[in-house]
Amino acid sequence: MLYSKETYKIEQRLAEWCRTGKNIDIKGTKKEGLKQYRRLLRNNINNTMEQAFPIANEVLTEKEWDTLIDDFFANHKAQTNHVWKLPFEFYQFVQKQSYAIKFNKPFLNDLLYFEWIEIEVHTMADQSPEPYKKDGDVNKNKIEVNPEYRLIKLKFPVHLYATEEAKKHSGNYFLLVYRHPDNFEVRFVDLPALHILFFEKIVNEEMTISEILKEIEDASGLENIEAVEKNILEFVETMFNQKVFIGYKQTYQN
Amino acid sequence: MLIKQEMTEDIKIGLGFRREIAKSFLDQDVINPDFIEVAPENWIGLGGYWGDVFRKVTDMYPLILHGLSLSIGSPEEVDWPFLKKVKRFIKDFNVEIYSDHLTFAKIDNAHLYDLLPIPFREDSVKHVVKRIKEVQDFLERPLTIENASYYTPVAAEMTEQQFISSIVEESGCKLLLDVNNVYVNAFNHNYDAKEFIDNMPLEKVMYIHMAGHYKIQPDLIIDTHGEAIIDPVFELFDYTIEKMTPVPVLLERDFDFPEMEELKNEMDRLRAICTKHWTSDVIQQRNI
Repeated sequence: MLYSKETYKIEQRLAEWCRTGKNIDIKGTKKEGLKQYRRLLRNNINNTMEQAFPIANEVLTEKEWDTLIDDFFANHKAQTNHVWKLPFEFYQFVQKQSYAIKFNKPFLNDLLYFEWIEIEVHTMADQSPEPYKKDGDVNKNKIEVNPEYRLIKLKFPVHLYATEEAKKHSGNYFLLVYRHPDNFEVRFVDLPALHILFFEKIVNEEMTISEILKEIEDASGLENIEAVEKNILEFVETMFNQKVFIGYKQTYQN
Repeated sequence: MLIKQEMTEDIKIGLGFRREIAKSFLDQDVINPDFIEVAPENWIGLGGYWGDVFRKVTDMYPLILHGLSLSIGSPEEVDWPFLKKVKRFIKDFNVEIYSDHLTFAKIDNAHLYDLLPIPFREDSVKHVVKRIKEVQDFLERPLTIENASYYTPVAAEMTEQQFISSIVEESGCKLLLDVNNVYVNAFNHNYDAKEFIDNMPLEKVMYIHMAGHYKIQPDLIIDTHGEAIIDPVFELFDYTIEKMTPVPVLLERDFDFPEMEELKNEMDRLRAICTKHWTSDVIQQRNI
């Protein structure tokens, strides 16, 4: 660094003023101009978060919202060059600083995460699936999944109810959030626990439906597996219709 | 007539590509700029709907990049991972000009997401020149640096004009001359905008920005990019263009978008001024 210590310190103090509103006495500056910088920088952060988290912005009081924005701007060392990713850092900050407890809004972390995931899935880089075939045997062939998805777990069903109502229904909620390959729309699918099991076996373990059913049969000792088979086939059909599943892997052996 | 036509083709008037007005760029029913400009930070790595739109629009128009987070005035190390992405983006989209601001936007490992003024000082010149050279070596091309608007001097020990000229001369970088910023700074800091233009290294100007601003107080203008260009800024542009040879000119509009006809009218007015001054015989005379 070729800055003198003094020049470095001046830049530090200018940034500190903008972020915290403290120590406005900076050598060789005009107060009115400095005030504009703080206003402009804070507005940038506030506008970014208002756009990213419209529901949270509505649910929180004005004082709570301003507290989050001020604390985040003052204390968080923002890492991303890409402003559209800053809301994720905001969510992490709010979670880490336990504002859900401080504000007595236990759903706050889930709500911010839910709103962020919609942005992420909408905007994230395109991901190509492995080579696949459109047609195949649903029981015997491995299924290819649309790779542009996130599977999230929520404690409060902020995707189903208004927040005050969601508070009364705490539990385990699994939500598949994916980008429709034809029109880029972000869609949400509420998955019950059994379907999460199916989904993970199909996606992570690359098992066929027959293999999954065999595994369940062996593990549970069920003599009549038909009900499970009907359930999984309906699930798979729904996933195909919704373009979460998009075909069959080309590497299958049958 | 043929020669005049050739000069007209050298006049490039662009418009900042923004999501709010993306459809107009694709439809081309009102506007059809000669090029578009984006901030790489807002488009690198984007997929889905906006990734698709970006591919379409960059198939239709030449692209210039104007960055926000290079932070050439930061005390810390250049953000090499980010610059690596920019280099790749430049190559992927066949970008001719990559510019950023003569400001700092990151310090103590924290992005600020806005442009803060660098103290106009000798040690700042040395520091910024070193960083510009590092960036240019890495990118294997000249960096283009924009004169920024500023709302307070910060411990200045030299004039803005001396600061910019020294950096351009010592680093070998190019200059993005933002004419509106010259007007804004001249108003806010009581200097003569035309005299400032006279003392700029105009032969190093690679690119010009024009924009609107907002007078927030009787003695303070903010560079908002959210208003139409006012007549005195058009006049300063006219004064500047008369002294220069052709470079691309961009209309910046980032907020409060009007009907596209209004933006087209502003672009037409910029083009008319350029066409008036950038005739082949005048350019030839200037080059002698």
